[in-house]
Amino acid sequence: MFKPQAMTKVIIAGSKDYMSIVINALYAHNAVHISDFVDEDDDFKIGKPYANATKLSERAVSLRSIASYLSIKGKEDIQKRYPEGTITDEIDEKTEHLNVEVTQVTDKINDLDSRIKDINDKKRLLDPLKSFDLPLDLYSGYRSLEVFVGTLKGLPDIGDITSDYQLETVPYGKGHVIALFVPKEFGDDVLKRLQDQGYSTLSLPEMEGTPKEILPGLDAQLIELESEKEKRQEDLSALRKRYMDYILASDEYLSIATQKAEAPLRFATTKNAFVIEGWIPTKNLAHIHSDVDLATDGHVMVSEDTSEAVSAEKVPIALENPLPSRPFETLVRAFSLPKYNEIDPTTFVALVYPFLFALMLGDIGYGVTIIVIGLLVRRLLKSKGIRDLAAILVYAGVISLAFGIIYNEFFGVDLVGKNGLILSSYAYPTIPRFDNVLTLLLVTLVIGILMLTLGYVLGFVNEYRQHGLKHAVLSKVSWLLMLYGGVLVIIEILPPLTTGTAISISPPLVGGLVLLVIGLIFLLLDEGILGIAELPSLLSNVLSYTRLLSIGIASAGIALAVNRLSYALFIDKGGVWIIFGVLMLIVGHAVNTALGILDSGLQSLRLHYVEFFTKFYRGGGMKYEPFGYERKYTEEQ
Amino acid sequence: MVDPIGGGMVALAAGIAVGATGIGAALGEQMIGSAAVGAMAEDESFFGRGLVMTVIPESIVIFGLVVALILLFVTMPTI
Repeated sequence: MFKPQAMTKVIIAGSKDYMSIVINALYAHNAVHISDFVDEDDDFKIGKPYANATKLSERAVSLRSIASYLSIKGKEDIQKRYPEGTITDEIDEKTEHLNVEVTQVTDKINDLDSRIKDINDKKRLLDPLKSFDLPLDLYSGYRSLEVFVGTLKGLPDIGDITSDYQLETVPYGKGHVIALFVPKEFGDDVLKRLQDQGYSTLSLPEMEGTPKEILPGLDAQLIELESEKEKRQEDLSALRKRYMDYILASDEYLSIATQKAEAPLRFATTKNAFVIEGWIPTKNLAHIHSDVDLATDGHVMVSEDTSEAVSAEKVPIALENPLPSRPFETLVRAFSLPKYNEIDPTTFVALVYPFLFALMLGDIGYGVTIIVIGLLVRRLLKSKGIRDLAAILVYAGVISLAFGIIYNEFFGVDLVGKNGLILSSYAYPTIPRFDNVLTLLLVTLVIGILMLTLGYVLGFVNEYRQHGLKHAVLSKVSWLLMLYGGVLVIIEILPPLTTGTAISISPPLVGGLVLLVIGLIFLLLDEGILGIAELPSLLSNVLSYTRLLSIGIASAGIALAVNRLSYALFIDKGGVWIIFGVLMLIVGHAVNTALGILDSGLQSLRLHYVEFFTKFYRGGGMKYEPFGYERKYTEEQ
Repeated sequence: MVDPIGGGMVALAAGIAVGATGIGAALGEQMIGSAAVGAMAEDESFFGRGLVMTVIPESIVIFGLVVALILLFVTMPTI
């Protein structure tokens, strides 16, 4: 619970004759995290992949290209799993067949696409000319005439070059379309002039008839091609439906087979033997012994190596927490996995995170809303990370509900008491936030001091485990002493400072100063003079917890504003205005709920990451990734 | 009875406390945030630490908010 799962280092060694059997056994077991072998020397070389690896990956490539044509993403569910044997028997033939079938359809679609594009291009060129009643073949092929067909911003201004020209023009878009016929000898000059005016040529397709006659024909062709394309796409989705199960299953089979075939790349091998180094959760140790023994008839040796277990850097990390706190592992993982000899903070996060969240949100209405949202998300979405966050939201919602009862807030309205929504004549003892700002401020400071204390205590444990007692005292007890010394001093001198009376020397003040000085000496011994630079962070860390109050008041303030505004602007007027008022209430509270989740969530997370974790937690552990596969589409035989 | 001028001054001070610290925090977070997103593009596992770095300046605006709350809820009634 407070530590990552216990791991044992195993070394598996044997003759190469048994290598593939061992690979299969380990793979089926799905528990050994193999440490890649990297330090080649004269005796040990990195193993070679099996010969079929190349072929397998080629097949996987062609299969995945088919899958992408059929837009199969690999996340779909299928009805029943494929037995692996039926895949191995026919995968070559079937993939080849599938490839031909799919390519036929996709080729047709590509062909149709290019024809559609061609027609659209023609339409685009002919469209501007549709008001000129001139067959297309008359725009070119003259011996003495130069023809300019194109678009121009204004009208051609060529009167000074020649007056002997014929111009057809019609406004089009932002400018004009022109068809200009001039004698050939003026061609160059006219072109230059037109270019100055922003002329761009329309290169006409070689067709017969006037644009007006051609265009309807093109439209008809286009409709035909589109419907043809639609049919082909239906063919494609029929193929998808028919072969999806097979494609998903054989893709999974290929991934598994490739991983197995390439596994020797992670082993150390000699001419005749292989050595696998890896880590296995200690609880699985007995199984791996018996599994490998059974599979190889005792010809391969599995031994535990306890000598290196102290080097925490190399141990892969699997978090191990009871089911209720498991969703919070996501928050720890987002920061960093713990090292093997570090405390796993998940339990503390699970206990504190929803509490801090609720302290800020604290509203019966919002609490219920986010419980519902969390449950819905858990029901509807599959991604593990999102489901974890939704579970956290539910926890936070339940406690927000409890704090809502304490604060006496329901969507920003009093629930009981004088202005109560349901029980105006009765009130249990409540702590309305707006009336108790100073008290709650002190409460948040106390929470901050307690959290920092817990952080330093955990830090002490970590340092003690990693670097011994002396270092643990100097680096963590120093801060604890200064924290409490500082608290005592501030309690003693703050009231006189604010009221302007003289500060009297009292035992707590002296005690606080002594603690401060001892702590400071420890700190200087540990970190040297630079440690002083970190001193102000202690104060700002504690003050940082005041956000628990301020974010809460801000959230409650928005709720209050939404209620008052909708009442004053709309509901008060009665009649049809009530609809607008209710609408404003719904939108306003929806926005405030979203803000509440985002703000309370992030701020609470920040109080963990920045203020709490920095006191004891470094992280940087390596993720435990066992050699094996979670089958979704195939089953072993 | 709240003194109108004194009360107004306190309200203004509260507004300035939140507004000015907000600008300060925003300036800081803008720089850190863009750097953090850049780092995350390189390595997604930076998200946790990136978030931590980005929200560090936010304390400033929280302090401003606390000052404003004290002004409004503690100082204001004494005027």
